[in-house]
Amino acid sequence: MIDLKNIHVTFNAGTALETRALKGIDLQVAKGEFLTVIGSNGAGKSTSLNSVAGIVPVGVGNVLVDGQDITKWPVHKRSKIISRVFQDPKMGTCEDLSILENYAIACGRTAPKGFGFAVNKDIKEQAAENLKILGLGLEDRLNDKVGLLSGGQRQALSLLMATTGDTKVLLLDEHTAALDPKTAAFVMQLTKELVAKLNLTVVMVTHSMSQALDTGDRTIMFHQGKIIFDIAGKERDSMKVADLLDLFKKDQGEELADDSLLLG
Amino acid sequence: MSYYELMGTFELSFIFAILALGTFITFKILDFPDLTVEGSFPFGASVAAVLITTGGPFFSNPWIATLIAGVAGFGAGYVTALLNVKFKILHILSGILVATALYSINIRVMDGPNVPLLGVDTVFTVFDDVEFMASYEAKTIFLGALVLAIKFALDTFLATGVGLSMRASGANAAMAAANGVDVGKMRLMGVGIANALAAIAGALFAQTIGASDAQSGVGMIIIGLASVIIGMSLLPSRLMWHATFAVVAGTVIYRLAIAVALNSDATGLNASDLQMVTAFLVVLVLVVQHYTSGYRAAKKGRKS
Repeated sequence: MIDLKNIHVTFNAGTALETRALKGIDLQVAKGEFLTVIGSNGAGKSTSLNSVAGIVPVGVGNVLVDGQDITKWPVHKRSKIISRVFQDPKMGTCEDLSILENYAIACGRTAPKGFGFAVNKDIKEQAAENLKILGLGLEDRLNDKVGLLSGGQRQALSLLMATTGDTKVLLLDEHTAALDPKTAAFVMQLTKELVAKLNLTVVMVTHSMSQALDTGDRTIMFHQGKIIFDIAGKERDSMKVADLLDLFKKDQGEELADDSLLLG
Repeated sequence: MSYYELMGTFELSFIFAILALGTFITFKILDFPDLTVEGSFPFGASVAAVLITTGGPFFSNPWIATLIAGVAGFGAGYVTALLNVKFKILHILSGILVATALYSINIRVMDGPNVPLLGVDTVFTVFDDVEFMASYEAKTIFLGALVLAIKFALDTFLATGVGLSMRASGANAAMAAANGVDVGKMRLMGVGIANALAAIAGALFAQTIGASDAQSGVGMIIIGLASVIIGMSLLPSRLMWHATFAVVAGTVIYRLAIAVALNSDATGLNASDLQMVTAFLVVLVLVVQHYTSGYRAAKKGRKS
């Protein structure tokens, strides 16, 4: 479903601040696969996710999704096949607009309304029905502004919005990192349920090694702009965080020096 | 204030309300502080005046001339948005650049600093011989109806898929793009529509006062902003069609306040004090809003 071919991304090219964020990434993600991505700060995990979403322009290489070469597509065009949930709950929704209006915008991602009315009876019923899944009572607050919701509620709403319509690929960029542990667990559980129900292809970037191993069915680790390991199946099932650290040490000949990866 | 003066105030209010609805689109919906209106308002006036006086049998029709003025205004706004979207020039600067260029362009269009509209048919000529009321009353009623029609058209547009996408583009551009909205296109369209409205207001203004003048754009941005800020502060609401009504009402309240301040002998103010009084009114509303919302927030136990 996702096919990254020899992706190179360089920030501030030709200046003293030149940073080679991605150094030739090759990655295939199969249809229906749930891939988790870990790595320390600046390793390239978010950059690679953003190169799929179209936020970061790719210097060299090709991005293919669902058999189409989307390397040159702008963000809004890619959003027809790729949906995203951001790390910051404020990013995924418009706080000045109502819950229903936000939901209608998300519906427009795959089925634009053009000059027809954005909010109609169908959308309203669909929104109320889908919001019930969240169990947060939002279906009774359709006309409330999203700005009135808590971070967890907004993130749950973002997730629901990202899975409306004919979505093929879901990109999650540390979408539980800004939430308290209890809310994070709730949003993570919701993620698993929605992904299973809709059989989506998912790439989830996380800062937490344990979350990366507990979720999905394949894990890759970024380090200094490269993928240093790629584990799946039985090998992954039996892995603990300590095993990952050993693997890193063996592979790189150094200790992993990012506490947040261990504490997460 | 006499009845005649009051009607005159309403008449101007309704013309400026068209401009203010445009300002509402740029400042409130798109979050695009657009200063092009300082140029597009007299641009609309110039285009309409030149067409009415020298446009030949078809284009000298004042209704068609006014409509073409709107199209010209759309073009001006489109250029401003294009400078921002395509060439990444800061939105405020884009507007200033286009407004500055328009000052010269307007003088070119009019082939001089002004064009008088005396002895020619304007959109208001038809009201000269209405039977059952004075022509200035008919004019005011017509302009009021026109403003309401534009308000309802805008409300309807903002409720469509494209309109909602435009609102999302201004409220959260990253989210809008992630949901398939071409944010650049929305800016081009929105700033274009806003300046089309400003140009139509300019065209009607010229036909009301009987001349188009290159200087008539001075202070337009603050008139639009004052109307939007006063209206939305006095009549706050989270519903779109309330907000557009508040903008129209804000324009009327603002013009009435100005008229009272400048006309009463007690204040000692005269017509040239208009801009100062406007700035003072806007500051007053914002300061009052700051203190009252701070007070409300403090009562709820939150930090302001």
